[in-house]
Amino acid sequence: MKCESCSKKHATVHLTEIVGTVKKERHLCEDCAQGINKQLAKIPSPTEILTSLINQVAPEISEMSKIVCPVCGLSYLEFRSHGRLGCPMDYTIFRKGLIPLLEKMHGSTQHVGKVPSRAGKDLIKKNELMQLRNELNKAVEKEDYEKAAELRDRIYELSGDTNED
Amino acid sequence: MSFQATPMKISDLADNTGEWLRGTGAESDIVISSRIRLARNVARFPFLSRANVKQKRELEEMVSNKIKEAEITSDLRYINLADIDSVDRLFLVERHLISREHAGGEGERGVAFGKSETISLMVNEEDHLRIQVIRSGFELKEAWKKIDEVDNKLEKRLNYAYSSRFGYLTACPTNVGTGMRASVMMHLPALGMTHHIEKVFNAVMKLGLVVRGLYGEGTQVSGDLYQISNQFTLGKSEIEILEIIEGVIPRITSYERMARKALISESREQLEDRIWRSYGMLKVARIISSEEIMHLLSQVRMGVNLGIINDIEMKTLNELFILTLPGHLQKLEGRELTSQQRNVIRAAYVRKRLEMT
Repeated sequence: MKCESCSKKHATVHLTEIVGTVKKERHLCEDCAQGINKQLAKIPSPTEILTSLINQVAPEISEMSKIVCPVCGLSYLEFRSHGRLGCPMDYTIFRKGLIPLLEKMHGSTQHVGKVPSRAGKDLIKKNELMQLRNELNKAVEKEDYEKAAELRDRIYELSGDTNED
Repeated sequence: MSFQATPMKISDLADNTGEWLRGTGAESDIVISSRIRLARNVARFPFLSRANVKQKRELEEMVSNKIKEAEITSDLRYINLADIDSVDRLFLVERHLISREHAGGEGERGVAFGKSETISLMVNEEDHLRIQVIRSGFELKEAWKKIDEVDNKLEKRLNYAYSSRFGYLTACPTNVGTGMRASVMMHLPALGMTHHIEKVFNAVMKLGLVVRGLYGEGTQVSGDLYQISNQFTLGKSEIEILEIIEGVIPRITSYERMARKALISESREQLEDRIWRSYGMLKVARIISSEEIMHLLSQVRMGVNLGIINDIEMKTLNELFILTLPGHLQKLEGRELTSQQRNVIRAAYVRKRLEMT
């Protein structure tokens, strides 16, 4: 049987194509079959369609989608579909994607609460300073200047000996 | 110090309510309990969804041993959940000692708690460790003091996963930062009856708080019991979060009291009729479903708080509330029961209990 596309070479590739309810058989030579293959490859796969959709909804995902945590093996896409992280290191690896998410969830991306004593005195001080600054902002908002002055002094006192600020 | 030498018998707990249901503490006519939990993970281990069997076993062993060493309370007992059956696990869920997820999970996991059941430590739940403290009434600050102390003891022995930017690192980013969820369980029947409860929800949501059902996230509201808890865990300190909740609870309790007063002044007979009918139903019914008993007990609870019913103690109501839950009934009967069997046994149990008063 000759190739039905070029009618020159022998047909070695036999394809069955189903379009709607119509079944169509094609007999091609190797060269022509490869040409068709290339055409087929141009049609976007479901994954590609999905990715382009995701791009429109959450642009950070496409940027992050290739990132996989070297420690636990979790990919950013897996995280986004299940909502659970794989290991503490993910907070560093996926940082760029996580920051806007955390902002949305918590309205903040900076911890100001408890510090484990192991984390060291410096960190405790840093957090204390952050809390005091928060309180200072609040006092200023409320126009409680007496409290604000008091807080300012405490901030100076604390930051003075750490050379911070 | 080690765990209680005698093996834990869950049936030992089955005839009492646990201290958080004593019905004492501030505002206890409306606030049933105050609960705080902290989520903690051990550094250099994957979170549980990515941990293999070996790592899970290693974590379970290490964390439970550290809990043991930390001398949290003298009577702390540890139960490996893989060693007990599903009725026992349900029983622990009903007592708020473990979460539904923990009960339904798989692999090496466990829980430690003391006799008073005010502290519980879940090992290998969603996070490696979840510490919980429950108090009767509106006692959030007390609960915080206790849980902070327990956490301090444990952090000396466990290297927590922590970053200065994101705080305590958790499996789900909704818990990161403080890792703290504080919730106050409230009984709000009058706001429900007068359809003002939606307003409470809206006001609470604006403060970044959420309203959940009896067993926490994703559970239904039942018996007019609501849990108000914080949504955010990052960007505010533990105390700031607690203060936000503490600020809103008195407003909800006074709103509920106002709604109750309004019901009394506008439709006293109807209200009394409703309450007495519920009480009567409990005394005579032959079949009571778990949903129905929650509703009936809710009405009677309000009746007692309003002084309409005087011959039953709050303690008895709290006992009926917990001891007639499906897991408890099966534990009391010592066998598995179908839901229909439970409904008959529940009604019989309630009748017997109320005859004694």
